[in-house]
Amino acid sequence: MKNLIYIFFFFVIAIATAQPQGTILVGGIAHLGTDSVIQNSVIGIREGKIVLVANELSSYNKTDYAEIINVSGKHIYPGIIAPNSTLGLTEIEAVRATNDFREVGSILPNIRSLIAYNTDSKVIPTIRSNGILMAQITPRGGLVSGTSSILMLDGWNWEDAVYKTDDGIHINWPRMQTRKFLDEDNTELGPYEKNKEYIKQIDELKKLFSDAKAYSQVEKPEEKNLRLESMKGLFNGTQTVFIHADYVKEIIEAIYFAKQNMLKVAIVGGKDSWMVTDMLRENNIAVVLSRVHDLPQRSEEDVDLPYKLPYLLQKAGVLFCLNNEGDMEAMGTRNLPFMAGTAAAYGLTKEQALRSITLNTAKILGIDKTAGSIEVGKDATLFISTGDALDMRTNNIEKAYIKGNSIDLNNDQKILYEKYKKKYGLK
Amino acid sequence: MRKIGLFLFILLSLSTGISAQQTFPVNGVINKNHLFYTFTNARIVVDPETIIEKGTLVIKDGWIVAVGEKIEIPKGAVIHDLKGKTIYPALIDPYTNYGMPEIKAVSRGRHPQIESNTKGAYGWNQSVKAEIEANKLFIYNDKLAEELRKMGFGAVLTFHRDGIVRGSAAVVSLGDARENELIIQDQAAAMFSFDKGTSTQDYPSSLMGAIALLRQTYLDADWYKKDNTKKEYNISLEAFNNLQELPQIIETTDKLSALRADKIGDEFKINYIIKGSGNEYQRLDDIKTTNCKFILPINFPSAYDVEDPYDAMNISLAELKHWEMAPANLFAFEKYFIPFALTTSDLKDKKDFYKNLRKAIGYGLSEKQALKALTVTPAELLNLADKLGKLKSGMIANFIITSGNLFDEKTIIYENWIQGNPYKINDYAFVDVRGIYDFSYGKKSITRLKIEGEPEKLKATIVIDTAKIPVTIGLLNNLVSLSFNYRDSIGTIRLSGSITTEPLRISGNGQTREGEWIDWSAVYKSAIIPETKKDSAKKEIPKPGQIIYPFCAYGKPLDDHDGFDKIVNDFKNRYNAILIKHVTVWTNEQEGILKNQDVYITEGRIVRIADNIDASKLAFAKIIDGTGKHLTAGIVDEHSHIAISNGVNEGAQASSAEVRIGDVINSEDINIYRQLSGGVTSAQLLHGSANPIGGQSAIIKLRWGKSPEEMKFEKADGFIKFALGENVKQSNWGDFSTVRFPQSRMGVEQVYYDYFTRAKEYEVKQKAFIALPDKTKAITPPFRRDIELEALVEIVNKKRFITCHSYVQSEINMLLHVADSMGFKVNTFTHILEGYKVADKMKAHGAGASTFSDWWAYKMEVKDAIPYNASLLNQMGVTTAINSDDAEMGRRLNQEAAKGIKYGGMSEEEALKMVTLNPAKLLHVDNRVGSVKVGKDADVVLWSDNPLSVYAKAEKTIIDGLIYYDIEEDKKLREDMQKDRARIIQKMIEEKRGGAAIQKHVHKKQRLYECDSMETNYMEE
Repeated sequence: MKNLIYIFFFFVIAIATAQPQGTILVGGIAHLGTDSVIQNSVIGIREGKIVLVANELSSYNKTDYAEIINVSGKHIYPGIIAPNSTLGLTEIEAVRATNDFREVGSILPNIRSLIAYNTDSKVIPTIRSNGILMAQITPRGGLVSGTSSILMLDGWNWEDAVYKTDDGIHINWPRMQTRKFLDEDNTELGPYEKNKEYIKQIDELKKLFSDAKAYSQVEKPEEKNLRLESMKGLFNGTQTVFIHADYVKEIIEAIYFAKQNMLKVAIVGGKDSWMVTDMLRENNIAVVLSRVHDLPQRSEEDVDLPYKLPYLLQKAGVLFCLNNEGDMEAMGTRNLPFMAGTAAAYGLTKEQALRSITLNTAKILGIDKTAGSIEVGKDATLFISTGDALDMRTNNIEKAYIKGNSIDLNNDQKILYEKYKKKYGLK
Repeated sequence: MRKIGLFLFILLSLSTGISAQQTFPVNGVINKNHLFYTFTNARIVVDPETIIEKGTLVIKDGWIVAVGEKIEIPKGAVIHDLKGKTIYPALIDPYTNYGMPEIKAVSRGRHPQIESNTKGAYGWNQSVKAEIEANKLFIYNDKLAEELRKMGFGAVLTFHRDGIVRGSAAVVSLGDARENELIIQDQAAAMFSFDKGTSTQDYPSSLMGAIALLRQTYLDADWYKKDNTKKEYNISLEAFNNLQELPQIIETTDKLSALRADKIGDEFKINYIIKGSGNEYQRLDDIKTTNCKFILPINFPSAYDVEDPYDAMNISLAELKHWEMAPANLFAFEKYFIPFALTTSDLKDKKDFYKNLRKAIGYGLSEKQALKALTVTPAELLNLADKLGKLKSGMIANFIITSGNLFDEKTIIYENWIQGNPYKINDYAFVDVRGIYDFSYGKKSITRLKIEGEPEKLKATIVIDTAKIPVTIGLLNNLVSLSFNYRDSIGTIRLSGSITTEPLRISGNGQTREGEWIDWSAVYKSAIIPETKKDSAKKEIPKPGQIIYPFCAYGKPLDDHDGFDKIVNDFKNRYNAILIKHVTVWTNEQEGILKNQDVYITEGRIVRIADNIDASKLAFAKIIDGTGKHLTAGIVDEHSHIAISNGVNEGAQASSAEVRIGDVINSEDINIYRQLSGGVTSAQLLHGSANPIGGQSAIIKLRWGKSPEEMKFEKADGFIKFALGENVKQSNWGDFSTVRFPQSRMGVEQVYYDYFTRAKEYEVKQKAFIALPDKTKAITPPFRRDIELEALVEIVNKKRFITCHSYVQSEINMLLHVADSMGFKVNTFTHILEGYKVADKMKAHGAGASTFSDWWAYKMEVKDAIPYNASLLNQMGVTTAINSDDAEMGRRLNQEAAKGIKYGGMSEEEALKMVTLNPAKLLHVDNRVGSVKVGKDADVVLWSDNPLSVYAKAEKTIIDGLIYYDIEEDKKLREDMQKDRARIIQKMIEEKRGGAAIQKHVHKKQRLYECDSMETNYMEE
């Protein structure tokens, strides 16, 4: 009874102080990330959440919002998510001291990217200002590289930037063919050769997973095993296994492995995935697709194969998203929207292309309940571009929100630009 | 006739009698005779053109005394009646390492090795081993000699296969004697290659470096020869000069390298004999024009494992096609009248020699040509035609006695006579036991025994109905042993017996697995008829598919139905004129962007741009509807590393101005086609950035299918790569690269001052020398030409232009100062990511910029790189381009240009110029390309959309008015390629079912070059 009174009082106060709250974006072309577009949209943001997604003609009350922003003619997009990224784990690739994405050893599920993520990396603001607002920060190397986490690209420290802690474990599927260094300096790679260790490495993986499964069922282990401890989430459905594999036979092997272990799995890379789309679809396995702006692996392949790979998976009904692993990956993450643009030039619709860097990504990373699209109830992580954000010709981000907070879109590069414009007296 | 023969007898007996004296003491009684050996009633193949059906051969003391139909047999001669047998000249292999010491790979140290490890008064480079003399290294090798003798060889050229200059080769006989008697020619040939071999010295680290080293060595040797003062004594150059009178043989590993060798030959007036690689048929027209003679291998690739379609995907079209076509290489040479000799040197298993030779004959090579390539031609190549290769009096008595036609599968070599000594290969009494027999042993009823295979390597099987039981067979003269496991018995049945002829029968005794003795016999029933040959009674030359240009994926066949017919004009299938209607033209000229235009192209030029060009009068032109499409100038990539063979950096020294990318253009790089699909029509192929003064670059048009020389942009100015910063000071090469100068930006400046000071002095001296009156010149020490300094002199004289890799403002400023004070210009700063900080200084100097759109953060010196760089430089009036330096990005340069709009707000027209007109200006080719203007080269691209849009695709890429990439044709090429692959794979599987050898495929992934790519094993690529 006493409690009820408190509640009553609370309501009274709330009504008494009822003031406009949050922000409403009015008149923009909203690309929801769900394949839908609302031409003259209204989008309401309150307490970090999207509370309104509607056509301007529908009934809503502007005065409910403290801030009304007219974005007519501009484009609104859900924040782009960069999966499988080393952002914040590296500053300058060639300077070893700035690299924190690779650990010694080959089975390292307990290695966590989260705690090495540097929110103050100078690279991050240059990524953010192109519309990429979240990323799955992922360690590299080894057979089991470690555990990734999903972070928002704004925050004082990793603790408040984290969106989903320890979301997945990353396996580099053993190569059936390997390359050796020809020289002592380890700079010169030789031709592909059959990996004689393949069976051994697969057995190692199998054992690791069966051990981890058994361990996860032991309530109080005799001795705590950090590796196996870190894999518990795989067996209660809270974590995903990301298996990095490109060659078609390796993909098939990885799929069987996933089936046998009843794991939630996504393939990362999947350059040959177009050959096994039926298998992927039937087993509900998604693909975090390798860089769209890449060369075909084999000279006989279609010249535009990497460009149209997203379309081939879309057509076959395989869930996929785009990523940018490879050379200069961290700084190049800012080109993720343009990779989606290229995919749109080669078969996808523009909205499908957008989805492949937003909602699809969120689904694959297991955060689509709260992120990845502009839908009521989801986090207000979105941005406004004056033009089509998937085309470098028109991509121009004016404003971006992460969980409803308008973020700083300036970066060191813009500062240098302004500085030298001033030096030369340019406008 | 007879008189002449006798006269020769006397003459020769005298001369050989004298030469038979020797220096060696003998333990025991001297066992020498000076008898005549005569071979009568033989079919004598004097040379491939001359056959005596029934003749006599007389030899004495290792020399041929007489050959002819009616030769008087001297008294006291040993007579061999060779009725029904054939005598051939013994074969000659002009490319072996027989009797040479083993070459041991020497491991390189971890630190760079700048100087040669060869101690003594030798030359500066460890891979120039001109002083090596094979005759001094040669040691008789019984095993190898026997192997070659069995194949019918009598003499070989042998040399030490190590280094770029490999010294002299010797011709040795394959007899079993003291080395003193075996060496036929001590200095028979000079040997070269592009492979530095065991040299641990860093230079050269690339193919272009090897070529430059060879060129400079020729110049040095010439200077050394003329210099009477000999202030420098140099064993290597001394030896190099001594090699010059000999036949010059250079080893190549690829058809393009054969062309490269010929280019060096042309420069120094040497007609090399080229040791080929077996893929010359892929560019035979160009091979023909070298006018070189060839030594060709006779190894063919074996079939790949293609049963698994996923694995088969990793085998390239080029590999599949080469498997199919390689056996036709020799036929192609014959058809094109290119002289060649054969070598066994590349054969992994020497036993494949005759099998492969017969395969080549099956593909069209004539037997006469095959014999010539094994006898007369090698003898001629080695200037030994008067001693070897034919059966004529006065020549060395090297010959073989066979049962018949040497190239026939059933033929047996009985004896190989070398320098008059017989080596028995097979007994005259040798019975060909191959055939089908009625076979019985013990109580077993009659079954069938089949004996087949090469005489050396017999294979036997017992056939019962359809079951086959393998039998181990051994044969020694008349003795035969057989062993096998009969299907219902566990142990092995062992039989031994002997052969009786007429009728052919083998019989004897044997033991069962229980040790019980049994009788057995095999009675000859019939010969084996090869199954495959049943249908093809008339010999049909197999059709080995079509040659495509280039010989890789997306190559196209020319108008060539026969495989090797010379192409007069490959433009037949293409249109001489193109009219593009209703297109939006981005002119890059004052007119700006023109809508709804017609553009007429013919004879390689843009001829007219107008509102409406009447198509009816241009009936021969291909009409393209450009409605809704955009036409721009072709993209020019100022900074590319595609289409380069075996190394993009010659980084062993601070300067490598002597090396030329133009020497190593790789016309067979798939990335050429891929870039065409992105609208690129021209590119500057640059040396890497490993050293302050890099190599000379090549400007090419992406004429897919053409040869390296044909790809070069005609009359383009010469350029050279310079580089500053982290790469030249080797900051990111690991902890051991701390030796080579420079290691800091301070040192980089001094490299330039030093080299340009020397270059200027060089020019002064050279001019002074040239100006000398002839008489004075003759008594003045000669002038040493230095191709490295000459490249720098060209810069000072504005005949060569610099593209300088650069990042940080301090170093850019530095080079501008060096240039201003030394009197040269920096044409272009490339990368130039901090160019925006010194744009005013660059503008004042007149330097251009070629930069990345948005790269940064990959190394320390790009910390301050900003994507607004191009825009700022452009606004400051610096001619600015956006380049790729990356095979992938090279095909999306339109997108990279569009980033100029996003970062810095360029206009669309200006953005497009960043990848078309501006790079053309920087490369001094803007009078030819870079804009759509009447009179310029028709290097244009038809786009599906606004060319700067991410949604745009290049639909047609046109160079010189010819369509090199067409999005529609591309679909057809893909289909054709799939069909061709499938066809070859089926053929391969069939061949394998027929028992052919197979090889596991090793997937070779192409190396992509960037600025800092280094090769250490450049020959292995």
